[in-house]
Amino acid sequence: MISQKQFDKFVEDYNEDYLLLLQRASTRHYECLISSFLILTDLYNVISTLYDNGGLTYAKLPYPLSFRADEQLLAQLGFDKEGIENIHGFLPYVKETQGMELEECVASEEITSCARTSLR
Amino acid sequence: MSYSALADLIRSNIGSIVQKWRSVVRNDDGIHSDENLSTRELTDHIPQIIEQICELISLDEEPSIATTYEARASVYMRVHQGYSGRDLIGELSLLRMILLREIVTYGLEKLTVLGLEQYFRVSQIINLYIDLEMRYAISVYADLAAGRTKLEEPRSES
Repeated sequence: MISQKQFDKFVEDYNEDYLLLLQRASTRHYECLISSFLILTDLYNVISTLYDNGGLTYAKLPYPLSFRADEQLLAQLGFDKEGIENIHGFLPYVKETQGMELEECVASEEITSCARTSLR
Repeated sequence: MSYSALADLIRSNIGSIVQKWRSVVRNDDGIHSDENLSTRELTDHIPQIIEQICELISLDEEPSIATTYEARASVYMRVHQGYSGRDLIGELSLLRMILLREIVTYGLEKLTVLGLEQYFRVSQIINLYIDLEMRYAISVYADLAAGRTKLEEPRSES
């Protein structure tokens, strides 16, 4: 059984890591981001499952895990126009390096590992 | 007709579906939260939600946590836009009606040949998806109203 305090920490860690991931994408540091995104997806699913099961509340809302994060959301998270354009550049990068869309990467989990990607 | 063909047909009409939805939301006397939103702000995640529903129809799969990210993103944005919970439920209900009507229209216009069993299945997927978003929205709004959840201020530009 997970306590509210532990749950709050999960959400806090997720939010922090998600923001870091976006910050890296906003400066076109795309290496290893797919692996990081997959890990965050798992964490987000766990958080959502725990919340949906009832008994726990969000002290702060988790940032939404949208594959195609829109401009409004990204602006709300503090990204400027250039940063948002760079974040959007991550999707074509995934397609180019993995030969599939990000959603397909998440579904298949057959991705080129972080180490191999970074050696390119 | 295959589920994936129907999903493709809905996908090819996302623009007009969203337009119809915006129009009924704007004209609904019971919805007020949209009044200060631009067209873009009002549209928000609706195209992505329809896209995600199409994906589920195409796979003949019921929605789950891993396939409703856009629904949760939509609730997050509406909360931060100052939308009331009541109005969010109202606009989702209108989206449901439009999507269900859209599929019937395809049949009436002979664009699809959908059996009753298939129609039931597609309706079920649409209903379950919208219900999941409503359920999530009700939980979040209830926690906000009770002061259990605090909203973060928008971050300054990085």
